[in-house]
Amino acid sequence: MQNTHILHDFNEAITALRQEVLAMAGQARLNLERAVESLLTRNVDLANAVIGDDNEVDEMERKVDRLGMEILVRFHPVASDLRLVLSSMKISINLERISDHATSIAKRARKMAKNQELPDVNIVEQVYAMSDQLLRDAITAYNNHDAALALGLHERDKELNRVYKRVSNTLTQRIEEGDERTDDYLHLIFVVRSLERIGDLSVNVGEDTVFMEAAKDVRHDEERQI
Amino acid sequence: MSATTATMPRPDFIHVEDYNFWYGQNQVLFDIDMEIPECQVTALIGPSGCGKSTLLRNMNRMNDLIDGVSHKGDIRLNGTSLYDPDVEVISLRKRVGMVFQKYNPFAKSIYENVVFSLRVAGRGKRCELDETVERSLKDAALWDEVKDRLHDSAFGLSGGQQQRLCIARAIANQPEILLMDEPCAALDPLATLKIEELITTLKKQFTIVIVTHNMEQATRCSDRTAFLYMGKLVEYGDTLQLFGNPKQKDTEAYISGRFS
Repeated sequence: MQNTHILHDFNEAITALRQEVLAMAGQARLNLERAVESLLTRNVDLANAVIGDDNEVDEMERKVDRLGMEILVRFHPVASDLRLVLSSMKISINLERISDHATSIAKRARKMAKNQELPDVNIVEQVYAMSDQLLRDAITAYNNHDAALALGLHERDKELNRVYKRVSNTLTQRIEEGDERTDDYLHLIFVVRSLERIGDLSVNVGEDTVFMEAAKDVRHDEERQI
Repeated sequence: MSATTATMPRPDFIHVEDYNFWYGQNQVLFDIDMEIPECQVTALIGPSGCGKSTLLRNMNRMNDLIDGVSHKGDIRLNGTSLYDPDVEVISLRKRVGMVFQKYNPFAKSIYENVVFSLRVAGRGKRCELDETVERSLKDAALWDEVKDRLHDSAFGLSGGQQQRLCIARAIANQPEILLMDEPCAALDPLATLKIEELITTLKKQFTIVIVTHNMEQATRCSDRTAFLYMGKLVEYGDTLQLFGNPKQKDTEAYISGRFS
């Protein structure tokens, strides 16, 4: 089977769609990285930059939808081409939500920067490291047509959930102990919750990638086999 | 008529069994094996020269008209071999109606086109003919458009109407099977959709096999699809499955426009 379509326009349209999804994924991941950095380094300018750049991700989501619609209308794709278009459009929704969570983290970083530095703010780093790795691998799986990598994200997210619960409990405990920095600890609880949600959304990206590559809907599937 | 029987639709109403076919020395079909279910629409797709029209025309032995043809294997219609010595080709063709790519009404009135096969069979009772014309034209979704001009020339109809007239003519004798060889190839998009709608309605009464080059048409109006390539049956299955997730790489390449 040839990889290129007889219609040159079709090849270009599919390539453009994939590139736009990957650019969007890159921007969403960058926003997350900078949001967490702004929290850890108390960098308000960086937090403001993340909040400002969220509009770019929103615009990219609209562009992915536009490109996807055009391909559906013009070329009536079937089989793996159809799955690629459908999955790309669904993945862009998840990426937009990931960027929203990054924005939310940046807004909390901005608020926390007004107060004195919280001694145990670094506790979020291990949650971030895991959710960021899930997101990177979800993007890699989409880019490399790697259904096996995509399929494994669900199991790895369970470990993220365990770490999230432990960290979240620690932060709640600080509040229950009557620490006077209640507001900042609440901000951190919401930050780690966003990071945990980014893990879930990365799993969704993986599930859409599995559907794209293997024509298998593994959502809500206990066995999760291709 | 098949659909009027109280029994369950037969899954192998047309059974093509290890069928091979030659034009002279040139083999054009290789070991085709497929079961075509009763009262469903089965589409045959594939590039030009893949053998899909040849296969279709073998289902009512139309290829017998060509010199030097030969075959091996069998095709059974509702359990009876097409090549059974007791089967007369004329009676076989009464069981199997056919519609062609280019609409080809006779140079007669609309009415006479529909009843042509009945007149050939010596059935000329006015009431039977009238009843057949009304039923066939209604089934072909043409009655309302022509009921006031039944004795006008068929050539006065539009292309889409002429093709529906040909369908009415093909079903006038109440066949069990309707073979359609690219029935919309010469029609505009709206006339095409009318024929497709008609096909969906007709499958309640007839087992339909359609050859089409139009992938969207196959996905819209067929229940099962067979992909043929170089005389071989590459893949055959549920239409949505075949177009959503084909099992064979060649099928995927063809339906998604990547065939070399």
